[in-house]
Amino acid sequence: MIHWYNLVLLYLWIAPHLLLTWVAFLLLKRRLHVKYPVFFGYVCYEIIEFVLLFLVSQRNLNLGAYYAHIYLGTLAISTALRFGVIQEIFDNIFREQKQSETVARVSLRWTTLFLVTLAILCSVFSSGHTSSTLIAGTAWVERGVAIIQCGLVLFLFLFSGLLGLSLQSYAFGMAFGFGVLSSVELANWAMHTEDLSVSAAKVLNLLPTGGYHVAVVVWLGYLIIPARIRIQHSERPMAEVKEWNLALKRFLL
Amino acid sequence: MEPGIEAIFAMNPAAIYIGLAVLVVIALTSVAVRQRRGPLALDHARSLMGSLDIEAFRNLVDPEEEMFLRSCLPADEFLKIKRERAWAALAYARALSHIALQFSRFGNAARGSDDPSLAELGKQIAADAVEMRMLALATMGRLFIIATFPSLRLPSPQSLIEHHGRSIGLLARYSMLQSARRQTS
Repeated sequence: MIHWYNLVLLYLWIAPHLLLTWVAFLLLKRRLHVKYPVFFGYVCYEIIEFVLLFLVSQRNLNLGAYYAHIYLGTLAISTALRFGVIQEIFDNIFREQKQSETVARVSLRWTTLFLVTLAILCSVFSSGHTSSTLIAGTAWVERGVAIIQCGLVLFLFLFSGLLGLSLQSYAFGMAFGFGVLSSVELANWAMHTEDLSVSAAKVLNLLPTGGYHVAVVVWLGYLIIPARIRIQHSERPMAEVKEWNLALKRFLL
Repeated sequence: MEPGIEAIFAMNPAAIYIGLAVLVVIALTSVAVRQRRGPLALDHARSLMGSLDIEAFRNLVDPEEEMFLRSCLPADEFLKIKRERAWAALAYARALSHIALQFSRFGNAARGSDDPSLAELGKQIAADAVEMRMLALATMGRLFIIATFPSLRLPSPQSLIEHHGRSIGLLARYSMLQSARRQTS
């Protein structure tokens, strides 16, 4: 049982980062690193972070004592970069829509303020089961961050859907991946704030890496097979187009 | 703390967060699945456009028509008629808002065309549709206020009607250009 668990854990830790190198390669190949520099930076950062943590976790290097601190430090940078990517997707959507840009920016500001307040309120009102360890403290902060990121991704989808703005395929894939990732993180950190049994904590360890794996597969999937809506060309004769044009003229007169 | 809020937090908080997380994933997945739906027909965009009697809408929101009614009818009767007209106009604005969404979807799909002229037209259709959608939403809000408080005077949504006309023009241009390309190829 332990053997299988370790294998799955190791797979879920290594595989997404290998796939991330493929994501980075595709971003470079399609010159998308120019359009989405923060996302490209985030992908590169995640790969470097993985290599660093993997090396630190090796027993023969005797760096295990530093693992938690390095992990938390890199997690903070990773979290900040995720906010940057969400902002980048948002900017890309509204860049071509000057009319809706102002409304969008104001709405985003208010939504962020609302989500920050919500995250603070959630921390204040559900502070019954606190533990004073560093990881427990981080769990409180990260849960709040996950609430904000989840909310921002949802806002992005709802607002663009409301205005009929199209998230271009790559941006959609990125936002979708981040949505999955922040949802899983929300569930994960929420459970970390509870008192868990050893077996439950072990299973829980698989959740963030599993969610991360799904997110990376989503990014990769959208880079390999972008979703495009095809237009079914009309077989109607030119006469009908002319008739339609006449209708337009009548409307304009 | 309010008893209701206390009751919510008395539940297992982790279960609430997990439930929320699952809901978010389901919502995002459904959007992703919808985005990969089948091809978008130009005929559908056309039929949507033809289904709306824009002249009737123009008449319902015409300020001159309103002034005429005000001068002819007693105050109570006028307010009653104005309210009914606002509800009817609201239905038209809702239909226009839906049409704008379809135009936007069509325009965005057309942006991916291999033909640069069609792609550029698609871009224009999409941008125009977003503007039309914003105007339609604002108009819906305004008409709702008028329907609720008919004594209020709010500006007429003429720009929405103008936008609709512009979108028709762009779609007609797209259709003609597409037909011309098909004939030459």
